[in-house]
This record gives sequence, structure tokens and C-alpha cells, in this order.
Amino acid sequence: MIEAHELTKRYGAAVAVDRLSFQVRPGRVTGFLGPNGAGKSTTMRMILGLDTPTGGRALVGGRLYRSVGFALREVGALLDAGAVHGGLSAGRHLAWLAASNRLPSGRVAEVLGRTGLDGVAGKRIRGFSLGMRQRLGIAAALLGDPPILIFDEPVNGLDPEGIAWIRGLMRALAAEGRTILVSSHLMSEMALTADHLLVIGKGRLLADAGMEEFLRSAGTSTLEDAYLRLTQDAVEYRSTDVNR
Amino acid sequence: MTAVLHAEWIKLRSLRSTYVTMLCAIALGTGLGFLDTTSVAHHWASMSAQDRAAFDPVGDSFTGLVFAQLAFGVLGVLAISTEYGTGMIRTTLAATPRRGTLFTAKALVLGAVALVLGEVFAFGTFLLGQAMLAAGHLDVSLTDPGVLRAVASAGLYLWVVAMVGYGVGALVRHTAGAIAVMFGIIFLAWPAARALESWSYLPDKLVLTNASDVLGQVHALAVKPRLPSLGLAYLDLLLYLVVALGLGAWRTSRDA
Repeated sequence: MIEAHELTKRYGAAVAVDRLSFQVRPGRVTGFLGPNGAGKSTTMRMILGLDTPTGGRALVGGRLYRSVGFALREVGALLDAGAVHGGLSAGRHLAWLAASNRLPSGRVAEVLGRTGLDGVAGKRIRGFSLGMRQRLGIAAALLGDPPILIFDEPVNGLDPEGIAWIRGLMRALAAEGRTILVSSHLMSEMALTADHLLVIGKGRLLADAGMEEFLRSAGTSTLEDAYLRLTQDAVEYRSTDVNR
Repeated sequence: MTAVLHAEWIKLRSLRSTYVTMLCAIALGTGLGFLDTTSVAHHWASMSAQDRAAFDPVGDSFTGLVFAQLAFGVLGVLAISTEYGTGMIRTTLAATPRRGTLFTAKALVLGAVALVLGEVFAFGTFLLGQAMLAAGHLDVSLTDPGVLRAVASAGLYLWVVAMVGYGVGALVRHTAGAIAVMFGIIFLAWPAARALESWSYLPDKLVLTNASDVLGQVHALAVKPRLPSLGLAYLDLLLYLVVALGLGAWRTSRDA
């Protein structure tokens, strides 16, 4: 379970996240949606203790992330597939992560296998494609076999096979009773993956509802239409020649 | 903590930059000391009385220390700045959310490596230098007064520079910026302090490289009166260490 209570982040006068409260429950995939600049990544960074909230708090498993000891055993996160040192090999990258949380070294081979990277374990990450880096980031998130998983744009850069694989992975992880929070801009993909939706705009919560309920209340048949209708007033960056 | 120490050790020894900076330190540092001592040993007969008076059998072995210290400073900077440069710090902090634990573990791993390499460098360079000086019967032994202290202090000094680099790297979070700061501390602080001499000798006495001159020589004080006393030189090391690590720890506790 992930909880946000009145979570707020201000940068000077700008409010990135504005008194956001929600709960992400286990056993289902929760999609985290919102236009660019809505505060999704900032919210995820605050959940993971990377940024300090200006107000309110975020809890994972009832605790502040910064107070968790072996954090990879509690939460697995993929925020940015580029957050790796290119000079390390994939295997070494996972090896230091495993060591930092005292995970058995056998876990490295397991997650490399699960993400289809076993053939490139000894290769430097510098030479990896974006899709391979995403797989490595997912391998890192799975390393500690955590009950909570957070993915920011996980299908970014993946090929159709990879996208289908991620979808299956998320569904399987949720079916195992884990808490899954995943952000994406791909509505068609989200429609296939998520059971529950959190939609934010300009740092505020716009919707917190199950997929069916969300579609019903918007009165549309597709997630994309429902999403665009809900967020049309909350979009900060829009090209002028959009005719809708 | 031991788990994080293990993780940081894997990182440090897996990166090519660790080996490159240390090879540079040893090649430049030991190489220049070798050339200096060889030259002195061969030209002693024709050297002026003034040059002979300025000769320090320990200090001349450490002619290359100024280059070695830049390499050690860079090693310290890179230990943390590359985490910010590549973005890996977010992965690191997600795995080890306790900032104090992370900063301390990194410092201990880097510190252990830098101290061992610093002392190996100091004793290796000293022994090579003395072997060269022996040709002119100018060499000293580790058992002579003050020599063991001077050589061990040269290694200690390199360790301090690496740790200051680490603190500065954590503070600046940017490789080029942090190396520029280290360059300033090592190469530019000295002429700046010289410029202020007409007012006070105090800046001179607080310059890190002046402290290294005192620590790495046997009779530096007799030759250069503007240098800090031996006690103040050790205090200088402590001062730089505390300020740099304090600032680095503070910044590490902030948003990543």
C-alpha cells in the first residue's frame, strides 16, 4: 500500500504537487495519469524519498521511505531508465544493488532471466538501447522481490513485444497481491493494463476511480476520450493548432 | 551499513575511472620525483650553496606530489559526482534511502582505498627517490629523525585531498565544477595567498598545498618562513576535511 496525505511540493512560487491525497491498494494495477507537468514524477520522487515534500507526507507500507532499511525488499522502482552508470556492466549494476540490500546474489541471475537480459549481463550499459535499459531498470525493481512496485513510463522505448511483455508482467505482479503504481501517457496501453486510475492535473487529484467507473462517469467508450475530457482544463503545454 | 559498504566497494572497483586516476597519480607523481632526485644526484657537485641548502632529501622525492594530489582529488570527486552526472544517484538512493548511511559508506570505502593507495604512493616514491639519491650519497633512511613522519604524512595528505574531493563532489554534484574547485584549492589558492602577504601571512598558513609542503619535508620550516608550523599544518588538514565533508553531507541530505 502506498499512501499520500495532503502531499505538497512547491518550488518557490510554483506549486508542482498540491495537497494530493490518495491510496494505492495491493492486488491491482493502478494507472497514474496526467498531462506533462501535472506532477506525476514529482509525486513518485516524493514517495521514494528523493524529494522532500513541502507539506504532507507519503508513506510506503505505512512508513516514510527514507526510514526504510533494506528498501529494495519493500519497494521496487523504475523512475528513469537512464539512472545508471554506463561504465558498469548490467550484471555489476545489479550486483551492487543486491549487495546494498543484502539480497542473495542468485537474485541477479533470476531477474536477468526474467527480463530477458541474461545474454548481455557482462556488457557495459553504455551500449544498451533504450529498450534494454528499460528492461534493466525493471530487473532492478524486481531484484528485492518487493510487495510494492512503482514504474514511471515503463514502456518508453520498448518494442511491441516488450510492451506486451510489460503488460503481462504488471498483471502477473498484481495478481500475486502486490501493489503496482504505473504512470504512462499511452492511454490505449493503460486501458489494457490498469484496474484502477489516479488522474492528476496541475498537481491536484482529478480522479481516483476504477477503470469501469471512470469510463462510465465520463460517458465515453475509450479511456483516451475520457482522459482528454477530464484533463482539458489542466493541460499546461498545448500546441495552438489542436482542433478538437 | 556493511551491506552498503559492500555495494559501494563493488561500484568503485568496477569503474575504469578509478584505475585511470590512480595510474595518472602514480605515473606523474612517482615519475617527477624520480626525475628530480636523479637530477640532484648527478648535479650535486655543480649546485650552488643556496640550492644545496634548499635541498630536502624527502621533499625532493615528492616533487610530483602536486600532480598526484590532483589525481587523488579527482578520484574523490568522481566517487560521487558521476552518480549525479549519470543520474544513478536516484537508483542508489532508492536502494539506500538513508542519506547519512550512504554518505558515510561511500566515504569509508573511498577513504580506505585512498589511504592505502596514498601511503603506497608515498613510501614507494620515497624509496625510489632515495635509491636515486644514493648515487650521490645524499639519501636518508626512514629511521632518520622526522623522515618516517614526513613520508607517512605525504600519504595522509593524499588521503585528505581525496576526501576533500569527495566532499566537494557531493556539494557541487557536477564533475567539471567540482574538479574546477579542486583545481582552485590545489593550484590557485597558493598564488592568491601570496598576493595577500603584504597584509598577513595567515592565508599562506591556511593554504592546503603549503600544509603539504611542511608535512612532506624534513626541514621545510628552515627554508620557508611563511609556511605553517607542523602542528598548524595537521590542523589545516583537519579543517579542510571537516568543512568539505560537512558541506557534502549537508547537500547529500537535500533533494536529489
